[in-house]
Amino acid sequence: MSVPESLGAVVKAFPQARLVAFADLSARMILTSAGPMNTTQEHLDRLCHQARTCFDDPLFSLSVEAFGEPHTAVVMGPANVRVFLRSEIEPADALCCICDPGIDLPAFVAKIRDTLDRITNGG
Amino acid sequence: MVLSGGSRVIARPTDRNPVAQLLRTANETMLGRSLEFQSSTGASVTLDVVGRRVLRVTACHGLSGAEACLGAEVLEDDHKDDLIKLLQALAAPHHELRVISGPIGRGGAEVSVGLPVALLADLLLVELNEIESDSADAGGAPEAGPDAGPEELPSTGTSLTGFAQRLGPALIAWLIQGGTEDGQSSGPDEMVSHLVGFLEDERDSVLRQLDLMCDTPGEPVCLLLGITLIEGHSIVCARAQEALMLGVVEGDSTQSALAAWRGPAG
Repeated sequence: MSVPESLGAVVKAFPQARLVAFADLSARMILTSAGPMNTTQEHLDRLCHQARTCFDDPLFSLSVEAFGEPHTAVVMGPANVRVFLRSEIEPADALCCICDPGIDLPAFVAKIRDTLDRITNGG
Repeated sequence: MVLSGGSRVIARPTDRNPVAQLLRTANETMLGRSLEFQSSTGASVTLDVVGRRVLRVTACHGLSGAEACLGAEVLEDDHKDDLIKLLQALAAPHHELRVISGPIGRGGAEVSVGLPVALLADLLLVELNEIESDSADAGGAPEAGPDAGPEELPSTGTSLTGFAQRLGPALIAWLIQGGTEDGQSSGPDEMVSHLVGFLEDERDSVLRQLDLMCDTPGEPVCLLLGITLIEGHSIVCARAQEALMLGVVEGDSTQSALAAWRGPAG
């Protein structure tokens, strides 16, 4: 399954996922995305920037010192829920997602973890 | 609603997204017009608008940070961030926003430059076609349930103490700094004192980090950060108005945090 097909499968399984994007955090770039949300390149750039910010200091260091290196972040704002997931194998690989608040978050996080692992492992 | 003096109310204090109403008003303007937006805070911004583009800022009262825009004969891409900050500051939640339309201030009605309203809307994630949730009365809390659809999360007035309480026993230590709930805390002394020490050193950096995660500067935001968020321990950090909360959650905190953030109905 290609990366776009993998992302599309996530959106199909979770209709409340409005955008699921695969990013290269080191290149600061969203490589491909799926979902019904209308986005511009600037949206995607900002989403990638937000992902990098989540895994940055000072809260990154607090987490590392206390519990270990974080790979998962959920940002809840007034209008949506954003989920950012870094690969444990290749930390630059990440999924960046925008969801409606009613989403089943534990199931969604498990699904995108599995999806990211398969993408990073090449299949 | 049209009021005396030619002003029109475009956002009421109960509107959830007043800046969206402001942009929609600007987007309705095809012929060159001067639009003076007045907030009930006393602040105002006057824009020359034509053809769904903002040509320039001709006046600003009661807000800081307008110099760059005011000095521009025609707004360019470099001004968009300053303009967005200005419009967000003007269209503060919980305040009425009015518009007065008049003849365009200076020449340029025929010029197809300036900043497209659609670009500003894109950057603010505003849908220019009005959606119900933007104008819904805040007094009527949205139905909140897993199947309720794309409902809104709390936009303002979130009590972080209430949020902490709704998180329940999964939240094993927390504290709040700033705002009316300053000093609230719970959990083992050693953990709370560690969180206090961290915020003493890093509070400003944490606030900056949260701002960078926001779609709109200063909006309420909550971050869960952990190895998996499903097991082990994770950090929860939330900001609402002037208050900052930092805590530690144990176990799967995702759904409980989302429900807690959505409020009592969540």
